[in-house]
Amino acid sequence: MRSPIAFLLEGFARGRDAEALVCAGRSVTYGELLEAVERTRARLDAAGLPRGAVVALEADFSPEAVAALLALIERGAVVVPLTDSVAARHETFRRIAQVEWRLAADGAPTATGLRAEHPFYTRLRREDHPGLVLFSSGSSGEPKAAVHDWLPLLEKFHAPRPALRTLAFLLFDHIGGLNTLLYGLANGACLVVVEDRGPETVCRAIERHRVELLPTSPTFLNLMLAGGAWRRHDLSSLRRITYGTEPMPQSTLERLHAVFPGVELQQTYGLSELGILRSKSRGPNSLWVKIGGEGFETRVVDGLLEIRARSAMLGYLNAPSPFTDDGWFRTGDAVEVEGEWMRILGRRSELINVGGEKVYPAEVESVLRTLDGVLEVAVTGEAHPLTGQIVKAVVRLAADEEPAAFRRRMRVHCRGRLAPYQIPQKVVFSDRPLHGERFKTLRREAGI
Amino acid sequence: MRETVLEVIREAVHEALEGRGDVQGAALEEDTVLFGEGGLLDSMGLVTAVVAVEQALADRHGLVVSLADERALSRRNSPYRTVGTLADYTLELIGPAAP
Repeated sequence: MRSPIAFLLEGFARGRDAEALVCAGRSVTYGELLEAVERTRARLDAAGLPRGAVVALEADFSPEAVAALLALIERGAVVVPLTDSVAARHETFRRIAQVEWRLAADGAPTATGLRAEHPFYTRLRREDHPGLVLFSSGSSGEPKAAVHDWLPLLEKFHAPRPALRTLAFLLFDHIGGLNTLLYGLANGACLVVVEDRGPETVCRAIERHRVELLPTSPTFLNLMLAGGAWRRHDLSSLRRITYGTEPMPQSTLERLHAVFPGVELQQTYGLSELGILRSKSRGPNSLWVKIGGEGFETRVVDGLLEIRARSAMLGYLNAPSPFTDDGWFRTGDAVEVEGEWMRILGRRSELINVGGEKVYPAEVESVLRTLDGVLEVAVTGEAHPLTGQIVKAVVRLAADEEPAAFRRRMRVHCRGRLAPYQIPQKVVFSDRPLHGERFKTLRREAGI
Repeated sequence: MRETVLEVIREAVHEALEGRGDVQGAALEEDTVLFGEGGLLDSMGLVTAVVAVEQALADRHGLVVSLADERALSRRNSPYRTVGTLADYTLELIGPAAP
């Protein structure tokens, strides 16, 4: 069988002198990346890593990590990427994924003593296909481990696309981060790696390295706009901003468009279980999108989005199948449909029911974010004897304010922008950030 | 204490009315009807006002009371009927420990 990454390595050889990665002040060309892949191959050979082994790649974006990822895929391994952002849970992740070997970006693989015998692994080995395990946060309890076959995941990268200098914002162990990486590698683009994902660092890197594509999350964009980091740097190189992982607040989208009128804003829709779908927005300011693209079909059942994907995972290692009998994945995302367009409202499980009226947190958050002095906000439901649930907002403010004064100001602001039942009945203040490492608003954690 | 509680209730009711665009600042006497026939508040308004009273008592006076529970809902005479009945009920929950 031809190596599944041969098409990538051939591209590297053709564009030898082009910049592949900029990382911690170091610039690496595609030629050098190819050499790094060869060195990793030798290390894996020396350690006698068997084909089909389940290997935790404990690394973040770096030339060595990228080389290790490619060498593992080539070797038919099942790769379990683990970044420092989840350091405290590595042991749990290794146990769930039955990790047999551990590999740091620039070290030799070491055996863990575990044996991986899950039926999905057996199937991958029988077909001699490389695999990938990604963890999704899961709404409760243990994180869910999604097992993928790399072959269908890699398929879409065979089609050439424009090479844009891209910032590696999404993480190395995230479907979005891997998508960014492979898109860049397949098209000979340069990937810019940042030390941290704060707005200042990201904006500085965009200016310094003339970044053209920023794949990110609505929470990050909102923090960037709220803190004014975009004013202090020259971001004129940006051509496209993509955002996914959570619903985009209308208010953030409008401000973003006003601040970056010439930049294409594109929503993506990706899931650890399915890969990243292509999407097309109805207009620059619109949350209405068409999602799908080759290899994906969508349908809406009872207001919930279902997707059938060629690149869908085989299944979870540690949870029941989320697929219907005919292979559709139940996303749990509630959507509104208008002809061929749809708007993603949010997780059905996060829906708040106030006396029979439905409230989606994202819509309320969107309005609260336009209030002066509000840095971050997370909206959740709280049980209440009168109406079943009430809307509770956890707010992080730029400066202290008397609670009653803020609530008053908030109610005046919300009037006319939200229905009475959507206006938070309860407001709690937080001085901690309301987002996690992945720059997604943490409603559950904020809802304590 | 009764005056303090009445003040908190008046403020909370105004807050709830503001959310509905009702800003004329109704005079709130003890016998002003809040909820039920002829009341100032609809059910969303009542929830908002009740939560606002709870939050103000907690924020300013360190008093944790729950004004909406089974007890409140099962009373023959609704504690939410007037400004005065809500004050009575609030004081009853605060109990003799009131500052």
